Amino acid sequence: MTEQAQGAAALSAVIADAASEIALALSGEGDPYALSRALRQEDALAPAAVRVLGADALAPYALDGHPGADGAGSADAAMVREALTAFPPSGDTAAVSVWSYHGLVEASRALLPGHTTDWPAPPEPGDDWLASDPWPRLSHRASQLAALALPGLALDLTDRLTDRTEDLARGFVRAVRRRDWLQSAGLGRWLARLPRTPASLGLDNGLRFVRQMSDDPRVALHVTAAQRFFGRGR
Amino acid sequence: MTVTAPAPAPPALLHSVGDRALTWLDANRDHFRLTERDLARGDALVERLKPIGELAINMRMLFREGVAGSRQRERAGSLLDFAWRELLDGGNVLARHQHNEPFSPVALEMYAVFHELDYRHPGLEAALATPRTTATWRALEMQPNRRLGVLNAERRMGLTPSGDFAEAAAATWLGQRPEPWTVHLHIAYDITHTVFHLTNWGENPGRLPEPLADYIELYLPAWAADWAELEHWDLLGELLIVDACLPHPTLDGQLWERYAAAQSATGAMPLCGRLPEGDPSDVFDIVHHPTLVAAFASAMATSRSLSADGTGAGA
Repeated sequence: MTEQAQGAAALSAVIADAASEIALALSGEGDPYALSRALRQEDALAPAAVRVLGADALAPYALDGHPGADGAGSADAAMVREALTAFPPSGDTAAVSVWSYHGLVEASRALLPGHTTDWPAPPEPGDDWLASDPWPRLSHRASQLAALALPGLALDLTDRLTDRTEDLARGFVRAVRRRDWLQSAGLGRWLARLPRTPASLGLDNGLRFVRQMSDDPRVALHVTAAQRFFGRGR
Repeated sequence: MTVTAPAPAPPALLHSVGDRALTWLDANRDHFRLTERDLARGDALVERLKPIGELAINMRMLFREGVAGSRQRERAGSLLDFAWRELLDGGNVLARHQHNEPFSPVALEMYAVFHELDYRHPGLEAALATPRTTATWRALEMQPNRRLGVLNAERRMGLTPSGDFAEAAAATWLGQRPEPWTVHLHIAYDITHTVFHLTNWGENPGRLPEPLADYIELYLPAWAADWAELEHWDLLGELLIVDACLPHPTLDGQLWERYAAAQSATGAMPLCGRLPEGDPSDVFDIVHHPTLVAAFASAMATSRSLSADGTGAGA
């Protein structure tokens, strides 16, 4: 294995562990959540993992009745700030990456309200693709942004995706057929949030099926989020 | 509503697929012939009749659409004539099969195609009458979409269908509109055949009940994209026919380009992946169905592309 491949595998493992913790917290199990407990702050890979998890790094704070970040709040805010600083979007960053950065900043402001100062000002993400992408590419990108499907977050994006509900439903069907469980789960999470998801899609069974077929913690995280936040697939 | 509808395929592309397929079918027509051994196989004969039935139904459809001009109509008509006179011995082969298997619907299903074109075998028609009045005829166990096919064959012959269409349609997979992400190969063929029988092989797209048409319009692009990627040309061809049976066909240009590119130089359409090599009669057994489907899909799509109601995307 090359050094680069080893690094990628190590990062994947860190992300998978954190995703498991987040999913556990969302399902109401485990210890009270803190990002600084899900990821070890001193882990050199932590900033990259936070950047990849995006808004989901803070997802458990969006639960109704969550006490909010207690003593861990400042540590969590520091971890997020470090990730945002280490991996800023640059001019040539893909639209999805800018959206995901944007989502993490937005989640931090909303979910760590005691730490409102000095969040970086996120660049405006490009949105042409939301109208112009054919459904397969749109579905791929939307699934990569599934962490933004959190209550009260990314409202503009949600509106834009609502206009493409049928295309995302097609993407879900194709992703399940292709056994691309991560894309299936990401799309299923958006479809759980969108108001006009066609009943014929059978989304609830679909989410349960995808969860059953995959052992990827990131899939479990998306399905659990769909269940807890949007009441689908329970 | 899709915001970004795919660009429809140009009629010339749609037409060329069928033109090439017909060339191959014409050149290979003798492979459809039944051998003495086939004829002596009794109830196993039905397996050998199937390709002839498929040839007939597909050529019937080309003959009907006739959009691609008199040459295509002439070739389709000649193949139908060949099927009736030479392959089926003027219907005697069907009559013999019906005599051996009086309660099997196969002879009726095949005969209905020819009956529509005014080919007649009075002996077979007379022999079908009594079995059709039995309770067993209505009770025969079969796939729900096949049941729909039998009812449609009766309707095409001007007979009173032996069951209720709406009930039969409701019993099919498509009629129940289940989770679209569960569709696998066999379910996909069940869907295409339900559409074929409900619309009489594309003749009456309006007979497809609206909820079913809406359901297909919504999910067909996902299924078609997937089987195009898997290079399953036989199923993709059938799905392209289903698209052409919809109130607003997409006639998706990219899909059609992939489909056309899969066709061999001789006009044969591979079942899956690339054309197999080997003994010509073995190759024929594998590719005759996808090639018939290609001819059918091309004629249906060309017809819809040129018709006044046009495509949902391009019009």
